[in-house]
Amino acid sequence: MAQPQSIAAAPLPAPDAALIAAWRGGDEQAAAELVRRHARALARFLAGAGASGADLEDLVQEALIRAFRAVDRFRGQCQFRTWLLTIGGNVLKDHGRRAARYKVVPLTEDEGLIARDGDPHERAEAGEVEARLAVGVGQLPRLQREVFMLRAQQGLEYEEIAAALDTTTGAARVHYHHAVKRLKEMLR
Amino acid sequence: MNDDAKLHEAARRLGSAAAERLDIERVAAAVVERLRHEPAGAGPAWIQPTWLRIAAAVLLLVGGGVVLQTVKSPALSHGSHLVTDDLTDLTTDQLQDVLNTLDETLNLGSTTLPDADLEDLDAQQLQAVLRSLEG
Repeated sequence: MAQPQSIAAAPLPAPDAALIAAWRGGDEQAAAELVRRHARALARFLAGAGASGADLEDLVQEALIRAFRAVDRFRGQCQFRTWLLTIGGNVLKDHGRRAARYKVVPLTEDEGLIARDGDPHERAEAGEVEARLAVGVGQLPRLQREVFMLRAQQGLEYEEIAAALDTTTGAARVHYHHAVKRLKEMLR
Repeated sequence: MNDDAKLHEAARRLGSAAAERLDIERVAAAVVERLRHEPAGAGPAWIQPTWLRIAAAVLLLVGGGVVLQTVKSPALSHGSHLVTDDLTDLTTDQLQDVLNTLDETLNLGSTTLPDADLEDLDAQQLQAVLRSLEG
């Protein structure tokens, strides 16, 4: 008879909902933990959607601040991260209105938007595709861009995307379909 | 690798390098600091003081216009406007006639109206009333 193995159970991390509740109660450490969990995904989303490297940290901060200030309006219709990414989209839009430049970000390795790991030849080819893709993403209409990024970059389901953007699953699919079609044409 | 696979692979990697460079602990500290010290009212652009002032000014202008429109009697202003136009167009003789008619009406009103109805007026008085009404 096999002996039951004694495994020291690591404490489970608090779910986002618990941290949100703690932040609502004034716990700053809960807010800091939420930042640690989601800031990098938010930064990837913003950079992929056209934020320049120079503005990225400010935009990430701004999106997080807006999210924490408006957390009472978060009703759990989607994951906290997805909701945060849509706020990031709004921050980027507002920033773009002010600066009128986020659609024409020069996508070079120096800007840091393109991954630099892997084989040099593959990296060069992938880098070229990414650079063209980034330009293409920047030219998409806003909803198409956000749906594409949430789906293709963040790997979210259509239901989740639709809930976050307050639209229907069918509409999210259509936006994604149009985005992919346009991007493929640009990449040819 | 086909187009779809290339696209999705590229999309997954998009922005990764920039995100990796982000100092998460610094961001967390900065966010907590801002939450602690910045007033919660410093929100979106449309509720900034400048926009609130503009909105208040527009509200005052529109509201003031509506109030003025309501307070001013449209009938009175219309009537006085017509009278002014009419009188300026009249000749001296016509003005004299108007004054005479007014005199007659006033005399008629002061002597008969307090004591009698139209039925009590004689033919001359009735004609005077009719003339005054015809203007």
